[in-house]
Amino acid sequence: MFGNQDRLTNYDPWKFRKKIRVVIWLVFLAFFILTARLWYLQVVKGDNLRQRSENNRIRIQEIKPLRGLIMDTHGDILVDNQSSFDISIIPEAAKNIEDVMSKLAGLCDWGPDAIFYDNASFKSGKPFVPVRISRNIGRDKLATVETNSMDLPGVVVDVVPVREYIYGEMMAHILGYVGEISASELNRDAYSGYRLDDIVGKYGIEKYLDEYLKGERGGEQTEVDAVGRRLNVLGKIKSVPGHNVILNIDADLQKICWDAFQEKAGTAIVMDPRTGCVMAMVNRPSFDPNLFNRGISGENWKKLTTNPLCPLQNKAVSGQYPPGSTYKLVVAAAALEEGLVTEDTQIFCDGTYRMGDRTFRCWKKGGHGTVDLHRAIVESCDVYFYHLGEMLGVDKLAEYAAGFGFGYTTGVALPGEKKGLVPTKEWKLKKYGEPWQRGETTSLSIGQGFSLVTPLQLLRAYCSIANGGILYRPRLIKGIETVDRQTVRGFPPEKERSIPVSGKNVDILKHGLWGAVNEPHGTGWALKRKEMDVCGKTGTAQVISMPEDGEDQKGDVPYRFRDHALFVCFVPYKDPEIAVLVIVEHGGHGGSVSAPIARRIVDGYFNLERKEQKM
Amino acid sequence: MKIDRRLFANFDWVLLGLVLLISGIGILNLYSAGSNLSAGGEPLYIKQMTWVLLGLVMMVIAFSVDYHIIIRHAYLIYVISVLLLLLVFFYGNITHGSQRWLALYGFSFQPSELMKLAIIIVLVRYFDDNMEKGYRFGNLVVLLTVVGIPFFMIARQPDLGTAMFLMVLFLSMAVFAGVGRKFLIYFTLGGMILAPLCWFFMKDYQRERILTFLSPERDPLGAGYHIIQSIIAIGSGGIWGKGFLKGTQTQLRFLPEQQTDFVFSVFAEEWGFGGVFVLMFIFFVLIMWGLKITRYSRDLPGALTAFGVTMFVFWGIFINVGMAIGIFPVVGIPLPFFSYGGSSMIALMIGAGLLMNVSMRRFILQP
Repeated sequence: MFGNQDRLTNYDPWKFRKKIRVVIWLVFLAFFILTARLWYLQVVKGDNLRQRSENNRIRIQEIKPLRGLIMDTHGDILVDNQSSFDISIIPEAAKNIEDVMSKLAGLCDWGPDAIFYDNASFKSGKPFVPVRISRNIGRDKLATVETNSMDLPGVVVDVVPVREYIYGEMMAHILGYVGEISASELNRDAYSGYRLDDIVGKYGIEKYLDEYLKGERGGEQTEVDAVGRRLNVLGKIKSVPGHNVILNIDADLQKICWDAFQEKAGTAIVMDPRTGCVMAMVNRPSFDPNLFNRGISGENWKKLTTNPLCPLQNKAVSGQYPPGSTYKLVVAAAALEEGLVTEDTQIFCDGTYRMGDRTFRCWKKGGHGTVDLHRAIVESCDVYFYHLGEMLGVDKLAEYAAGFGFGYTTGVALPGEKKGLVPTKEWKLKKYGEPWQRGETTSLSIGQGFSLVTPLQLLRAYCSIANGGILYRPRLIKGIETVDRQTVRGFPPEKERSIPVSGKNVDILKHGLWGAVNEPHGTGWALKRKEMDVCGKTGTAQVISMPEDGEDQKGDVPYRFRDHALFVCFVPYKDPEIAVLVIVEHGGHGGSVSAPIARRIVDGYFNLERKEQKM
Repeated sequence: MKIDRRLFANFDWVLLGLVLLISGIGILNLYSAGSNLSAGGEPLYIKQMTWVLLGLVMMVIAFSVDYHIIIRHAYLIYVISVLLLLLVFFYGNITHGSQRWLALYGFSFQPSELMKLAIIIVLVRYFDDNMEKGYRFGNLVVLLTVVGIPFFMIARQPDLGTAMFLMVLFLSMAVFAGVGRKFLIYFTLGGMILAPLCWFFMKDYQRERILTFLSPERDPLGAGYHIIQSIIAIGSGGIWGKGFLKGTQTQLRFLPEQQTDFVFSVFAEEWGFGGVFVLMFIFFVLIMWGLKITRYSRDLPGALTAFGVTMFVFWGIFINVGMAIGIFPVVGIPLPFFSYGGSSMIALMIGAGLLMNVSMRRFILQP
C-alpha cells in the first residue's frame, strides 16, 4: 500500500479548500436564487396566484370507451352495454355531510340500509376525494338527485358502463365476464397499454378478445367549480368504441342444449363437422356473469368456488375425462391402418380376457360370442378391443391418438384450454419411474386407465370421421367488425391436418357408428330416428377402476365415484352437418343417460332448421 | 480485517439525521400527492417507505466497505452499469414513449439512476490515477469516452434530462479536480458543435418542452400546462400554505406528475413559503455538510467522492426546484430523497452512504 502513502503525502488539502470556498458561495447563490423566486411567487404574487388557482376551472379527464358487443351467428346480441349510476359525495364541497346525507335519504325514500358508506372514509382527511355512498341507483332516483342538485352540495353522480349478459348462465363459459384490472395484471407485459381502473376481460371471449373489445379511451376538457364539480364540457376527443365480435354460436341451439340437459352436471358441444364451427357449447351447472359486473360479493364468490360441481369451469375445454368406449374408434382405426385386422377379422368373446394372472371383463356378462370388427363397434365389445390393444401396443396407440388430435390443445379461442393426456411408455417412466405394464394397454384400449381427453378434442376427432378425415380447428369466432360493420378480422375454416386413416377405413368406422345406432343390439339405439340416420357411440368412463369381482356399479356408489356418461354422434350418415357430444358427469351409462340428451339436441336442431326454412 | 472502534466514534449521525428528516417529510408529502389517485395497489407513500428502508440497507453496505476498496473496483462498477443500460436498450419496458425501465423479479428498476453513482466513482478513480501527471489531450479523449457512452445510451432512451445531468456532474467534478483551462475550452467548443446536433436528434416532445420553457404561455392547455399549473400551485400556497391535504391544485389533479417531477409544488402549495423555506434550509445544510466532508477528507479519492456525491444531490435540488418554479425546462430530474421512485431513492441512499464512508474514515490511516 505504498501507493496510498505516497498519495497521502502528495495530497494538498489547501488547493481544495480554496475551491471549496468558491463552491460554497456558488451553492449559496443557487439557493438564494431559488428562495428569492419562491418568495416572489408565494409572497409577492401569492394573492394573485391564489385567485388563479380558485378560478382554475379547466381540467382534463379521460373518457372510458364502450366495450364492443358480442353477437351470435345470426347477429342476435348476446352481450350489451348498460349504464349504472353511482352517487358520491365530495366532503369538502358538502361541508355538513350528515345534513346532506339526511336530505338525500329523504328525497330518495332511502331507508338506513340503502346508503352504504363508512364514516372512516369521511374522516380519513382527504377532503377532495369523492366518497361513494350508493351504487347502481335507478333512473328515477337519478332524476330526483339531478333536479335537486342545488340543495345537495357536494353530491355527484358517476355514470359507470356495465356489461349486460342477456343469456345469463346459459352462455357464461363462452362469453366470460369482465372486471377491474388487478395489480398483478397491470404488472404483466401483456397488459402494458392498460391503466389502473380499466375494465378488462377476465374469462372467456371477453378475455380472449379483450384487445379488440376494449376500444380506445378519449379525453374531455371540462370546466369545474372550486371543489371539482363539473360545470360544462369545453372540448372533447371522442373515445372509440371497441369492435363487435360475432360468434359461430347459435343462441337458439344453445338454448336447446341448455334445456336438454335439465339439471344434470356436465357439458354438451355442437359442432359443424364440415367447417369446425362450434355452434353451441353448454356447461352445467353454470354461473351468472352479471354477478361479476360491479365486483362480485364475497358471499357469491365463495358459493361458486366451493361448489363441488365447479360451476366456474368450462368443462368443454378445461375438463379432462377418460374417453371410455368412445376411444375404441381410435383403436380400431390404428389396427386397420397397421394391417393387423380387416373388416372381417373375427374374435370370440366369452365375456372375459385373461392377461397373466389378471382377468379383464367385457361389459356384457357371458360375452358377445363370435364378433367381427363391425359388430364389435356396434355392440361395443370390450374383449375385441382388448385383443386389438394387445396387438398394437401402447406407443402405436399413442401415435394414432395424436393423429386424431388428442394430447395437445385444439387452439379454440378460449382461455384455460387443457391438453388431455396420451400415455406412452416413456411418459410413464418419467412420471412414475416405473415401466409400462401390459395390463395398462388393455385398459387403455377401451379408453380407461391413464388416458384423458377434453370434450372438445373428442368431438373434433369424431368430426374428422364424419367429414372423411379432416381435422379442423374448432372455431368459436365468426368475425370481428367495427361498429359500422367493417370487417376487422375474419376467421375462415382452418384445416389443421388430415387424420392418418385412409378413406376406405374411415368409411368402415363410419359405418360402424351408423350400426351402433341403427342395427339391433346397437348401444346408441336411443338416437334412432325415422327421417335421418344418426351415427354415434356411447361411452362410460370409469372414475375408479372396475372391481375384479366384476360387479357393475350399483346405486349406492358415492356421487363422486360414479361413472361419467358419454355420447358422441353426428348426423346425417351421408354428408353429416352437425356433430354433438354430451358428457354427463357421474351420470352412469352413456347409452341410457347421455344419449337421450343428445337426442333432444339433434331433434331440436332439425326442428329449428324446419322453422327457418318455413320463414 | 478488524473493525476499528474509531469508525463508530466518528459515525456521521448528523448526515443520517438530515437524510431521514428529508425522506420523512417526503413520505408525508407523498401521502398527500397520492391521496387523489383512485385506489388500487399499495399507496405510494407506503411503497416509498419500502424504498427508504431498502435504501438504508444499501447505505449501510456503502459505508461499511472502505471507499478505497470501492474505488479500486470503479471500472467494474462502471462496466456493470453500462451493461445494465444495454439491457434496457434490448429488454426495457416502454412507458410514455421512452424506454428507461428494466423489469427485475416484478420490480421495475431504472439503471440510469445507478449510472449517476457509477460515473462519480469512475471519475474519482480516473482523476486519482492521473492527477499528478497533468492533463493532456489524450486524457480528454478518455474522459469524453467514459462519460459519452452512458450519455448517448441514456439520451436515446430518450431521457435527455438524465443524460445532461451526467454531463453537469462530470463538469462539476472535472473543474473541481482541476483539469485546466485548456481542457474546458476544448470541451465548451465541442459542446457548441454538438448542441445543434442534439436538437436534430430530439423527439418532438423534447423540443416542445424546451420551446415551452422559453415561453410557457405559448400553449397554455398543451405543453405549457404543466409549468403554469406548477407555478399556480406554488404561488397559491402563499406564506402559510393551504394546509396538509388541502392543496386544490394537487387534490383536484390540476398539477401533473405530482409524485415525481412536481412533488415540490405539492409541498409548496400545502405548506406555503414558511414550509418551503424550512425545507430549502434543510437541503442547504445537507449540501454544506457534504462540502464540509469534502474539505476535511483525508485524501484525494475521499475528497473527490464526497464532492461528487454532494454535487449529485445539489444539482438534483437545483434542477428539480428550478423546474417547478419555471426557471428550468421540465427535464424529469427527481428531487433528492423527496420524489417518489425506488431507483433514485436507492441511488441517493448509496450516495449518502459513500459520504458517511469518507466522513467516518477521515482520521484513520490505511494499514
